[in-house]
Amino acid sequence: MKKLTSIDEFTAMHTQLVADARGDIPTIVISAGTCGRASGANALIRAAEKELLQKNLTDRIRLRITGCHGFCAMEPSVLVEPGRTFYPRISPDDMVTIIDATARGTIAAELLYVDPETGKTIEQQDELPFFKKQLRTIMGRNEKVDPIRIHDYIGNGGYLPLAKALSRRDPKFVLEEIIASGLRGRGGAGFPTGQKWTLFAAQRNSGAKYIICNADEGDPGAYMDRSVLEGNPHSILEGMLIGAYATGASEGIIYIRTEYPLAIQHLNTALSQARELGVLGENILGTGFSFDIGIVKGAGAFVCGEETALIASIEGRMGEPRQRPPFPIAKGLNGKPTMINNVETWANIPIIIDAGARAFAAIGTEKSSGTKIFSLVGKIRNTGLVEIPMGMTINEVVRNIGGGSARKGKIKAIQTGGPSGGCIPSSLFDLPIDYDSLAKVGSIMGSGGMIVMDDSTCMVDVAKYFMNFLQDESCGKCFTCRKGTQRLHEILEDITCGKGLPEHLTLLEELAQTVKDTTMCGLGQTAANPVLSTLKYFREEYERHIDDKRCDAFVCKQLTGAPCQAACPVDTEAWRYVAMIEKGDYEEAYRVIRSANPFPAVSARVCDRKCESRCSLGTSGGEAVAIRALKRFVTDRVKPSTYKPVLAKKKRQRVAVVGAGPAGITAAHCLSLRGYGVTVFEAEDRPGGMLTCSLPAYRLPRDVVEKEIKTLLNRRIKMEFGRVLGKDMTVQDLLAGRYDAVFLAFGAHESMRLDLRHEDVRGVFPSIEFLKAFNMRGEELARGHVGVIGGGNSAVDAARVALRQKDVTSVSLFYRRTREEMPAYEEEIDAALEEGVRIETLISPVKIRVRQEEIEAAVREGVELETLVSPVKIHSRKGRLVDIECIRNRLGDVDATGRRKPLPIPGSEFRVRLDTLIVAVGEKPKSEFLASMGLDIDKSGRIRVNAKTLETSLRGVFAGGDLVTGPNTVIDAVAAGKKAAESIDRYLQKKPLAKPATPKLPSVYVEPAQAGESEDKAGARAATPSLAPAERMKNYREVEMALPETAARTESRRCLRCDLAFTEKKSADGSVRSVGEGARHG
Amino acid sequence: MVNLTINGVPVSVEKGTTVLEAARYLGFPIPTLCHKEGLSPYGACRLCVVEIGEAPRTRLVSSCTYPVEEGLFVRTASERVVKARRIIIELLLASCPQSKTIQDIASAHSVRRQRFRQEHEDCILCGLCVRMCKEQMMAGAIGFRGRGRSRSLGTPFDVKSDVCRLCGGCMEVCPACQARCTYNEPEKAICGACANLSPPCIEKEPFHDMMCYMTPCVACEIKK
Repeated sequence: MKKLTSIDEFTAMHTQLVADARGDIPTIVISAGTCGRASGANALIRAAEKELLQKNLTDRIRLRITGCHGFCAMEPSVLVEPGRTFYPRISPDDMVTIIDATARGTIAAELLYVDPETGKTIEQQDELPFFKKQLRTIMGRNEKVDPIRIHDYIGNGGYLPLAKALSRRDPKFVLEEIIASGLRGRGGAGFPTGQKWTLFAAQRNSGAKYIICNADEGDPGAYMDRSVLEGNPHSILEGMLIGAYATGASEGIIYIRTEYPLAIQHLNTALSQARELGVLGENILGTGFSFDIGIVKGAGAFVCGEETALIASIEGRMGEPRQRPPFPIAKGLNGKPTMINNVETWANIPIIIDAGARAFAAIGTEKSSGTKIFSLVGKIRNTGLVEIPMGMTINEVVRNIGGGSARKGKIKAIQTGGPSGGCIPSSLFDLPIDYDSLAKVGSIMGSGGMIVMDDSTCMVDVAKYFMNFLQDESCGKCFTCRKGTQRLHEILEDITCGKGLPEHLTLLEELAQTVKDTTMCGLGQTAANPVLSTLKYFREEYERHIDDKRCDAFVCKQLTGAPCQAACPVDTEAWRYVAMIEKGDYEEAYRVIRSANPFPAVSARVCDRKCESRCSLGTSGGEAVAIRALKRFVTDRVKPSTYKPVLAKKKRQRVAVVGAGPAGITAAHCLSLRGYGVTVFEAEDRPGGMLTCSLPAYRLPRDVVEKEIKTLLNRRIKMEFGRVLGKDMTVQDLLAGRYDAVFLAFGAHESMRLDLRHEDVRGVFPSIEFLKAFNMRGEELARGHVGVIGGGNSAVDAARVALRQKDVTSVSLFYRRTREEMPAYEEEIDAALEEGVRIETLISPVKIRVRQEEIEAAVREGVELETLVSPVKIHSRKGRLVDIECIRNRLGDVDATGRRKPLPIPGSEFRVRLDTLIVAVGEKPKSEFLASMGLDIDKSGRIRVNAKTLETSLRGVFAGGDLVTGPNTVIDAVAAGKKAAESIDRYLQKKPLAKPATPKLPSVYVEPAQAGESEDKAGARAATPSLAPAERMKNYREVEMALPETAARTESRRCLRCDLAFTEKKSADGSVRSVGEGARHG
Repeated sequence: MVNLTINGVPVSVEKGTTVLEAARYLGFPIPTLCHKEGLSPYGACRLCVVEIGEAPRTRLVSSCTYPVEEGLFVRTASERVVKARRIIIELLLASCPQSKTIQDIASAHSVRRQRFRQEHEDCILCGLCVRMCKEQMMAGAIGFRGRGRSRSLGTPFDVKSDVCRLCGGCMEVCPACQARCTYNEPEKAICGACANLSPPCIEKEPFHDMMCYMTPCVACEIKK
């Protein structure tokens, strides 16, 4: 390399490089930063080189090995220029395909990126949702430049800004440009760079003057600086050169952590190349300006990112901050003026000089100009480095660029700024990302970490994680930082282990505030932010850990125990009966189930299986144990009499239960066992509530319900049918009469309305009315073409029941969102589709039309499903339904329920001819009359109760089930019944109503299975046998069947036995010892 | 001279004076633990925090390390200062309840309980001994190592230092519990004078270049 001795020589060289560039030659660009290499980019490079050599294509196709392109989730990725075709997750074999296609001038279509949202392939990198909304002024250069070739950098306009600055021979010009650009420090605090430079430039007569590039990037989950250092080291050198020229610095230092070996390697290469070419060192480009840069490797202490600690570290002392003032600008390294800027700040300098301050200031917001790189990580689909103009909202970054949650979880917060930052809840996602807005909500921009958290993240655990990080990374000099972070961690640890006390929250707040107030450096002053911000926005999660001893994210092990058990609303030790099945002791398995749940056979059929959704096998990437199918296996073969409930001595008090559904019957049963006389008042002529009147027989056979309820009744329970609260009696009558307490559990039996005209004409039915008519009285109300509106279980039930009625020709289900958002159980939707229900999504009804004459029998048989549809109108003629008018929707932004809101597409209205319309858009309790009895009712007709005790606003009156929660699952109703029985018992025994909470941990040690006997190699989840669709047409036979014994035994062996971390083999004295301590580490 | 206002009282002090010195000059009491005249200010214990600046943009700084500035407003006992100081005292009590110095400070600030898990540590890493050893004894036998939770105090590699003259200065200044001495484990001892039954002061009498701060000194007791 010939040394350049003048600016003219340099510009000539640049011109030559541009002329030689030949942009038309196809170039394969391989993203090979550290992350790319970790996921296999090295193998791609070898494969590409080999293929190009073997096929003799080296003249026709170029290869460029570059730094990180930013889309980490799709690494290793390849970009083919000039068409900018993007190939994600490429294997070495795919590389051959790509080279073949490129040589032919075509595209390897099968390897293109598929948009998970639309299912369409996207060819051009810039069209990818991830890249589309970004503004990649810094990151975008990574893919154009081979970091170890200075000519690549110069060919792309590199060092031209330096030449421009030098040729002006006026350092003031640079200073003015930087001030005018409004650039603020990218390290986190956002101090105006121009101001810093001006202060530094004013330091004179000091001998040496240092500028430092702070490349000590240490936030967990943040790596944007690394990608710039690795992918474009010359841009940082150039930034520092320009900075040195503008401020008169004599020496530059890059302080970089040893953990970045590739970055150090590239920097060293860049430094020696720059020196060789004459753009660094003595007499740069013959202008007389001299400046050199050295590298200092840090040992990886987080605190060394703080400027005074960094300087101490460079000087060879312990990395400890010191009191400012004096500021490093006046007295820094070796006592000389020192200016420290972050990697990204330096990388921005050539861009500003090149494009001009005004162009730079035009990007972003008024007070935060330019772009910022964020490393978007956590529970998000598109992880990667994202460069956006400042002022973009969090929502845009998370939803549009990040693509939303990685799993089906609901995103609840983002954490910005690393350990010094805070958590921002999803309710504030409209916030523009700039220095001041983030600071206002208690977080900071930081160096650009952005960790996305969803409902499987425990915010207390997050705070604990950062405190653990900081108690190790605090330098330890300030007592309040060292001891404060330790104590904060200790308290958080107590809370996550179930030892939290209510007063801990005040203590946390006071201590966090003290740490923030009284520490010396930036690390300490921001160390409490993770605690303060989670306390501010997620206090209820802390309270849940402390008051209820529960961790709803199932993260805190000591509060979760075995996840299946913790997930169960009635605390069934699911792991235990699964283990009993494995041992072949089915009777004991039944007793385990029954002791927690009075409705085993019903639950075995219709439970929503919260246990399975939390099964460790499922959450760790496999398929959850089929717990409900195992329960069905047990309940089908064991007699209910196997479990003998213990009856306590009779007490004199009596309790009235209103409603004989699962909640009411459970409460009556449990109260009777505790010795109370109970009278159950039921409006219908038989017990069961929703179990009999709404759930279809093919899911839950009638005899199962009847038998199960029978086993729960005894001589202390008196049933009174046909008695309606509000008509035949009031709550006050009951309390004034023979009863000492009342439990209200009469459910939610009123269908919600669409609020369209003609909704009351013949042919339109609320789903509850339709299901009740059939289930209770055997009336078949549906005929001809049937439409069902709604997406919940009752909509799918109605659709499947309608399909079984004899005059029905087709059934279509219309839903306003997409199938993913349907609240109905997945397997029910599948079954409905199998049976022929047509589901139309993203559709809303807008109009209902009605007519008199019969519509001819439809040609097509079967039910259909339409989603993203909303009804807009119902048309009728002479009092009978004709058709409904629907409108198509598209999904907009996420609403308060965490689902994307359906937005109608104007002009997309269409009509559907229907003979029957079933409206299943939700139910609510019929409870208006309760207000006159003095009960507190909310807008949706639900009774307000104390969630912990189920006590209503009236003394002695309790309420639970759907009446309190709105339409909900059977198992939640059973849980409410149990809780009510507990509360009523405590009320009647004059004890405090709320029971002190304890974590629900496994109680018994059960020997684990010996491995190797009949191990199911595949480990696949047992498929539940069911009737073939043809066999279930037009009848009500039970669809789901029990597992055969061998399948059940094999399935039970798949259990990971999470309980074993909490129990220990019986010791000699026969006691079971909990090994909580061991579990914390296990 | 630099003019500033402390608790509303204007004062004019020499450039380079710390806020602590200025406040004490005026007679305002500020508790300190890691500060000692004759040793360089360090700012580790944070007990001496004061509030500087004008509302609403005020902040707390350690007065022992903060140099006076022209026009500075200082409050040495504002609500914010007192609140922070009390938490610091609680933290100190939670770590080193047996230290008389800390108990006295707690008592002076009427802190009567601490709400953290009780520990019994013998060091609060105030660094007085390190500075004593280095600045007054010119030895530099001890120093800090590690960071964060694992920061501790000792000689290099925990071997008795060659430059240690067993002067006992480190123990004399220790506010925690005078337990820098590890009694009968002389190899690990920072000083070990008390366990050393033949200290230089006995062996080489008269031992004029030995400075001893220990009261009572084991060796001297034996000598009697």
